Formats: sequence, structure tokens, C-alpha cells
Amino acid sequence: MELQAVLMAAGGGSRMTDLTYNTPKAMLPVGNKPVIWYSLNLLERVGFEEVIVITTKEVQKMMSTDPKIKEVKVKLDVVCIQEDGDMGTADALRHIQQKIKTDILVLSCDLITDVALHEVVDLFRAHGATMAMLMSKTHEFTETVPGQKGKKKTAEQRDFVGVDHSGKRLLFMANEADLEDGLSIRKSIMRKHPRMHIKTGLVDAHLYCLKKAVVDFLAENKSISSIRGELVPYLVRKQFSKVNSSKIKEDTDDQSQKNSDSLAHQELLKSSEDENLLQLAQERSCWNDHRGDMSEAYHGGKLRCYVHIMDQGLCFRVNTLASYIEANRLAPKLFEEPAVHPSAVISERCQMGSDSIIGEKCQIADKTSIKRATIGNYTAIKEKVKVANSIIMHHVTIEEGCNIQGSVICSHAVIGRGADLKYCLVGNGQRIEAESERTNEVIVGTDQLMEI
Amino acid sequence: MSSKGGKQGRISDRKGAGDEDDEQPLQAVLVADSFNRRYFPVTKDQPRALLPLGNVAMIDYTLEFLTSTGVQETFVFCCWMAPKIKEHLLKSKWCRPTSSNTVHIITSELYRSLGDVLRDVDAKSLVRSDFVLVYGDVVSNVDVSQALHEHRYRRKMEKNISVMTMVFKESSPGHRSRCEEDDMIVAMDSKTQRVLHYQKTQGLKKMQFPMNIFHSTSDEFEIRHDLLDCHISICSPQVAELFTDNFDYQTRDDFVRGILVNEEILGNQIHMHVTKDGYGARVSNLLMYDSVSSDLVRRWVYPLTPEANFTDQEGRCCTYSRHNVYRGSGVSLGHGSQMEENVLIGCETSIGANCHISNSVIGNNCTIGDNVILDHAYIWHNVHIASNVAISQSVVCDRVVVKEGVKLNKQCVLAYNVVIGPNISLPEGTVLSMHHPEEEEEEDDDEFLSDDAEVGQSKDKNKQKGFNPAEVGEEGKGYIWKASSLDDTEDDELAHCLWGLVLNPDPESESEASEPEGPDDPVIPSPEMDDDKVFQLEVLGTLQRGLEENIGCDNLVLEINSLKYAYNITLKEVMQILTRVVLDYPFQQQGPELTTSQYVALLLPLLKKWTPVFKNYVKRAQDHMDCLSAFEEHFLEQDAHWAAMVKVLMNMYQLEILEEEMILRWFSQGATTDKSRHLRKNQGLQKFIQWLEEAEESSEDEG
Repeated sequence: MELQAVLMAAGGGSRMTDLTYNTPKAMLPVGNKPVIWYSLNLLERVGFEEVIVITTKEVQKMMSTDPKIKEVKVKLDVVCIQEDGDMGTADALRHIQQKIKTDILVLSCDLITDVALHEVVDLFRAHGATMAMLMSKTHEFTETVPGQKGKKKTAEQRDFVGVDHSGKRLLFMANEADLEDGLSIRKSIMRKHPRMHIKTGLVDAHLYCLKKAVVDFLAENKSISSIRGELVPYLVRKQFSKVNSSKIKEDTDDQSQKNSDSLAHQELLKSSEDENLLQLAQERSCWNDHRGDMSEAYHGGKLRCYVHIMDQGLCFRVNTLASYIEANRLAPKLFEEPAVHPSAVISERCQMGSDSIIGEKCQIADKTSIKRATIGNYTAIKEKVKVANSIIMHHVTIEEGCNIQGSVICSHAVIGRGADLKYCLVGNGQRIEAESERTNEVIVGTDQLMEI
Repeated sequence: MSSKGGKQGRISDRKGAGDEDDEQPLQAVLVADSFNRRYFPVTKDQPRALLPLGNVAMIDYTLEFLTSTGVQETFVFCCWMAPKIKEHLLKSKWCRPTSSNTVHIITSELYRSLGDVLRDVDAKSLVRSDFVLVYGDVVSNVDVSQALHEHRYRRKMEKNISVMTMVFKESSPGHRSRCEEDDMIVAMDSKTQRVLHYQKTQGLKKMQFPMNIFHSTSDEFEIRHDLLDCHISICSPQVAELFTDNFDYQTRDDFVRGILVNEEILGNQIHMHVTKDGYGARVSNLLMYDSVSSDLVRRWVYPLTPEANFTDQEGRCCTYSRHNVYRGSGVSLGHGSQMEENVLIGCETSIGANCHISNSVIGNNCTIGDNVILDHAYIWHNVHIASNVAISQSVVCDRVVVKEGVKLNKQCVLAYNVVIGPNISLPEGTVLSMHHPEEEEEEDDDEFLSDDAEVGQSKDKNKQKGFNPAEVGEEGKGYIWKASSLDDTEDDELAHCLWGLVLNPDPESESEASEPEGPDDPVIPSPEMDDDKVFQLEVLGTLQRGLEENIGCDNLVLEINSLKYAYNITLKEVMQILTRVVLDYPFQQQGPELTTSQYVALLLPLLKKWTPVFKNYVKRAQDHMDCLSAFEEHFLEQDAHWAAMVKVLMNMYQLEILEEEMILRWFSQGATTDKSRHLRKNQGLQKFIQWLEEAEESSEDEG
């Protein structure tokens, strides 16, 4: 076993609370499959046989009953963590340290991608990297988002990612927010990597290959709680810090803080068994990773971070409403599956576009029109209903004569007769009155509103 | 004017060959002056552009480069020793009627910088369209036509926004032809090749890039440190105008900086062109001279090779044999002499027996004795080297005589006509010249004045001063120039030694050793200094300045008041900070190890001096209390100096800064902590308080 897969599925989906009020993010249906299924499928396709899933009790319960998850062949080793324990992803890794025997592949459950996973892993293997990660060009979301007035340009702050001339080695990483005083780069880094590409239009896919030593390092270093927020920037920075080459200095450090830090750092660098052979290979080889001088490969740096940047293909995270809608539109195209579940009952006199998906045991009555929509399991759609560009989750009832356009309707909702919904989000279990007309609204329960 | 007719004819020829239909003839501005003294004292006798590199004057390389790249009209601007350059050019092939490149020589003694030259270009409206701007010491074989094409395309597309295209050569850090002084870093937009930031990196540990350069629409930038500035720029005619508009632009760097900083205002942009296979370097110091010479001999500048005789001078051809050995005509080589590799020997030079020559260039009409070892030696013309001489990495100028048994260690320079030896070893970095270094200082600071008259004068002086045989040998003639002798009179840039900075062979050791050892979170910005702290420093600075420049107390008050508003400090804090700063002042100035008596001796005059300042602030009862509490705070920190406390307090009382009533109130009320209670038990203080109380009582009695 070369890599152990760890799937982080405990996230609550704090950026789309309207959707995740009743369903945790991992279990939100995308193309009638829970989000987590896509990550599991990704791992299954490349041949993982066992996956450690870090999640909450709630998700575990839902997973055990979900038919799609049951279809997954990889063995799931589910580890539950406390739901509101404020545990970060790095905390979670520390939690399962005992289970980690080799290098790991960590990914987030909300990732939907068609990446050739071996690209990342190959980087990790080829360079003996401490960390290899996946990034992709920012995905442009085109669909109208319910409840969002106008085309709100997401004013999120850009990430600045610096890579070397090959576009693989990760040299620099910072968020615009931390760069108020300007971007500053040490000259020694520029000497080693004289041509640095700074890219801003990238998103982190939250998929990382990490050396086992990193997990051990986390166990030592309890102050790091999040992988993306703290560990990754730390590793990127550490690539060029002095400590890693001066092992002698370490014992003279008087500050205990520093000492423990450098000890932990040693941990990070501790060679695995075959490292010695690698070392030898590097010494004997005339290969190096840079141009212009003949110094040893990687300039003697022991800690190396790499990134694979996808320039085409699908890669995004389902963590906002906009990306959720986009996912529903695009994800089904990744898999060749019949659009209509065999157990669904569809009237002959229903107009249905080929780009729609109908879930298990759906009932769709006469004279309906369904275009570019995802209809969840056990949903009943009555006569003369028009559904376009919408996502309808499970157990939804839509009464006669409704017109639903560009909306998201969560599970167990009931849409009253003749209702007209345009660009609305209907929360879990909501009941829309008959003949009502709603446009661009977020309709959720009052208790849910209180929480926000 | 007659040349113009010929030129027109050639243009039409070119038109037939190429497809540049309505293009103007390509023009170039060649600045045959460096406007610095890096080559002093060598350039006291010969302008830099005429110094031989591979036995050919540097300006000839530049002109050949311009001609081969398609320039049809070149304006050569000369200043220092202009007549010599003019004479050289008039004799050269560039001024023959067959030359495809018409050379106009423009001389003026008033040019002080590149800026002056370009302002003159504008004033005389010499350029009609895009032109190439180079220095007279650029050696290059870059084909700029691609860059020129890009430049013109950009100007066509975006209405004259791009004013300059800089030509860079790709070469990784550590490359020999990189000039450490010219090391720079460029931030560019990957898609448009636009220069966003341009900075020299010499002496910098960290590169800072302002965020506003990343605000453009592009999402991909490049930071490049693998570029070598060829000092070749393609300029739009606007460049000359911009120099006129901005009379403070002196160098091209000023210009680039100005354009980049004012990009948003003026809308002008600078682009860059990176050449991968061309060669281009500016011979800006002797180290570069060394590396460019080596590159030339090793044929990196092909087709500009020594045997090509591109200057078309008669009798200057040489043969090329393996190991890059070039021999001019009439070279005689003694028995047992070896020319190992990369050797260029000029015409009519004779070399004795058993010599060992490697990586060297020897000029015309030189004579070299027996058993001479030359490595990285640059021997110019008409040099006489006697037997048993060893020279390594040194420059020996025209008509130098090196006598027997002389050893030149690395980086020596023997300027024109120097005689050295016999039997002397020159230490590393020795610079010898027939000009006395001091005559320099006696000169009018204006180095660009014509020198003819002075040479005559200075010769007299030389005779008076005599040569030091310890420096130049018994039969030697010449004066030692030290790098330091240049320092006093010249600005920083020129203070470097002649050779320039040595490329750091192990950059890591230098650049990393002094870095902080992997600080845990360098990203987290250090907490900003709060206003109080800054204010305190400012007050300290103000008082210091007040002392140094003897500024009146009124003005000090004025300054402190303005600081108070600038940092939004309350009156109470002003009081406390002022007191603290004054009391701390002797420690600030003399260090913390002052004895108590020294401290008092230093402080009391200060208090007296600044009494008006205090009086201005200490008015109300509360002010007194604030002042006293700051006083207490100060002495709580300096518990070794409690003995001084009474004296200071007494003084403040006598100077009427503090009133007795307030001191008593402070003494009775203020104690809040153990330590401050302890402070009040100080014997001297108790006595003083007692005295005060008695005094008060007595005054009350009287009252």
C-alpha cells in the first residue's frame, strides 16, 4: 500500500447554510448522488481499496442508509469526530494518526473533478515531495443563483500562488489579504528559482498528498489546526528556511519553543527507509531540477512542495450555492448513466429534455415539461407542471400547474398548486402556498433564519 | 548632405529586399560615454568607447551590432574625449561611403548624463520614428528585429502606449556574464510582456513588490531574476520628449522607474523582449570586461569573432586554430612557448621562449620575454614585458613596460605608459597610473571638461612628486590609485572599485546566513507600533534635533504640538511621554551603564534648557500629577538610580516646573503598589518632602 486515502467529510457547509440546514454538505445530492460519492468514486477508480472517512455521526448514519454509498466498493473506515468540536482538518489528521502507516492522500468530500489523479501522485513520487497538491483554474459559474440580486461579483480575495518555471514546484503562497504591504520574496529564493510565475486565478481543490512525516509532525505540533489555512502555507515557507540544512545548530537553540519546533521539523525530514537509496541515486545522478548551474538537485532542499495545475477539465468544490447548482449541471456529464432511473414512473405525455435526471421512484404526471432539471428520489410531480433549470431534491411534492424556473427545492418541500417560483431557494420541508408567486427569494423556515 | 543622397538610395534597396513598406529608416542613438568613472584612471587617457576588447575598440562592436540589426542611421553622442572618438570613427569603416549605416557624430561637453543626450535628441528633433538606444560599450549579436517588430505592433495596436521595449538576455543567476551591480529583478505580465516592476537587487535581501502592480486584469505574472540587461532599448520618439518633460531623469533607470510609477497617470507602458540565444552585455566594469573578453574569444558573440576582422582594418586579420587560439599576422613565438587555450595575439607581437599563455588577449606590437606566465591577462598594444613575469587576471594598457621578475596578482591594472619593476610583486587589486590620484581632487570637479590642457599641467606636477620605488619598483613610473581615494569625491555609485563586484561564488552562504532561522510565521505581520510609541520616538527625535541645531523652546513646543495632532495623543499622554523622554534622555544618548552622578550631571542642564517646554504643558493641577506619575514610573524602572531622584525633583521644583503643593500631594496619595511605596521610603526623598513641608508651614505661618 503506497498511499492511504483520507476523506474529510465533516464539514458543515458553512458557506451555503440554506442548503445544509438539514442535510450535511457531504450528503447533499448532486445529480441524485451524495456529494461524497464523487470523491469516493474518484478514489475507487484509481484503485484505492480502503478509505478513511472522517466525518460526523450524522453523516455516518445517513451514509449507512444511502443506496449510492452502498454501491461503493472501497472499504470505508469511518472515523467520527464531534460535530461541534471546532476541529480543523489538521486536528482531524492528528486524531487518526494511529491509523496512518504510510504517506497519505487527503481530500475533501466536496470535490468534484475529473482530474487524472495520477498527475498529482506522480509529482509526489517523482520528486520525493513532502506535499503535492491539486489546483485548477477558477471555474466561472454561469447560472443565476437564487436569492442573489443581480450578478454579484464575488469579491473574494485572490490567492497568489508562485510556481517555478516548470509550473510544478510550489514556491510561494499567500492570500491577497496578507499582502497589504506588498509581495515580498527573499532573494535567495529568486536565486534558486529565478523565474517565478505568479498566478492569481487559481483555486485550491483541497486534495493533498502528504508524507507520513507530516502527520507525525502534526502530532507533535498541536498549534496547527487546519491543513489549508496553516499546514500548507507552513510547508511552503519551510522549503526555503535555513533550519532544514543545519542539523547541528538545533541542539544549541536555547529557546525551548524553537527547540521543539526544530525537533518537530527534524521529524518532518526524517527519512523513510528507502530515502537513503534515493539520496544515493541523487548523488550519482547528474540530473538537477534547474538551469544555469550545476549544483545538486533541489539545491539540497529536503522539503519540497509541488502543485499540479489543471488547465482543462472539471474541478471545483461544492461549497457555495452557486457551485452546487453548477455541480448539478455538470457532474452528471462525468458519468454515463441512464438519465432516468428505471424505477421512476413517467407519464408518456411528459416533455422531458435529455439533459434532465430523474431519480428513483419518481412520479411524473401528464402534461409536464422538464428541462435541464435534476429531480430527486421519491419526488412527485403532478400534472401541468413546468420545471426548467432547477434542482429538486428528494421527497418533494409539486402540485398541479406549478411553474418552477431556476430554483433549488430542498427535500420534503411541498409546492402548492399553481405556484410560480423563479430563481428561488426553497428550504427543507417548506410548504409553498398555492398560487403564490415568488421571484428571487430564499424561502426557509423561521427557525433556520434565526440561526443565520 | 551628400551622404543623404546615398542613404536614400540604400533605403530603396532595402525596400526591395524586405517588406517594410512605409517604414522609416531605422535610427539609433549611441551614447559613447558612460557618464561615470568606473574605468578611471584608465579612461583618463582614452575614452571608454575606444578601449580595446579583443584588440578592437568597444564602440566598433556596438556599431557592428547596430548595422547588422538593420540600423541605417546612427547618432553617436560623445562628450569625454570627443575628438578622439571622432577621429577614430572618421577613420573607421563606418564613415566610408559604402557603409550601410550612416554615422553622425554629435559632440558636446555639456552632456552630463543619458538624460542630457536624449533631451538634445529631442531639441534637435533627430529621430523620426522608433529608434534603438545603446551605450558605446555594448557587445552584442542580438537580432533586435523581432523585438522591433513586437514594439511596432504594440504601438500600432494600442496607440503609442508602449514607449520602450527593453531587450534582455536569459541567463541564470551565477552566470559569468551577469554583472552583479546590474543584477535586477523584473515583474512582468506574462501575456503582454509588459514590465510591471523593475528593480536593481544589489544588496537587497528581500524583494518587495507593491500590490498595485498586480491589479491589472491579467491573472498571471512572472517574476524574473534570470535576465541580464543588455542595455539595448527600443524607444519610441516619445522617450526623448519624456526626458525633456522630466528634467530630473538622468539615467535610463530613472526613466523606467518614472514611467512605471506614473503608469496610471501618463498611461505609458514599458515592455520587454527576452532573447534566448543572442549575446548582449554591457562592459560596465573590468570584471565584465574580463567575462566579455573571454566570451568573445570563446566565440559566444559569433559572428563577431576576433578573426572576422569586421572592422575591416588592413593587416589586422588573424588565424583561428583549435582551442580557440588566434594569431595575428607576424606573430613570432619562441621555442617551448605554449598557448594553451582561448588566446588571442595581435599582429607583429613577439613572444619569447618557454612562455605559458592561457585565456589571455595580447594586443598588437607587443614584445614578451622568456618564461612569462599569462593567465586571464589583457595586454593591450605596444606593451613590453620582460622575462620571468607572471600576470593573472589583470589589465595592462598601451605602452606599459613590465620589467623583469614582476608578478601581477589578480585584478591589477596598469594604466597607460606605466613602467613597473624590476622584481616586484604587486598585491591583488593594485591600480597604477601615470596620473597622480591627487591631481584628480585638485581638478575642477567637472570631469567632463576637456582634458588636454590639464594633462600638460599635471605632467609638471608628476615630476615634482616623484614615484615611490616601493610601489612601482626601482625603475618604475606610476602612482598607486586606491579605491578609497575615489570615495571622497564621488557619489556612491562610483565608489566601487574598478573591477566591480565579484560574482558571489556561493550566494547561498551570504544570502541565507544572516536570515532569520525559519521564523515560524513570517507571514503574520508584526504588531504595528502603536501611536504612543511612535510619538515617543518622534518627541525624542525632536528634542535631539533641538539640542543639535539649537532650536528654541518655542519651536520645540510647536513641533510637539503638531506631533500630538498627527498621532492623536491626549494632553495627558503628551505630558507623561515628554517627562519620560526627558528623564530617559541621558540613557538614550550614553547607554544604560551611566553612574548615578553622571546621570544627574547630564540631566540637570537639559532640564534647565527645556524648562519652557515643560512650563508650556504643566499648567493645571492634573498636569502636575501626570508629570509626577511619569517621573515615578521612570524611577521605578531605573531603581539603581534612586539616589538621583531627589536631585531631579528638587531641580524641577527650583525651576518652577512643579509646585510644592503638588509634589506633596503626589507623595501622600500616589502610592499604589508595593514598589512605589518602597520608592517613597527612599531616605533622600523623605528628607526632601520633609523640607518641603517645613517650608510650606513656614510660608503659611508667614502668610
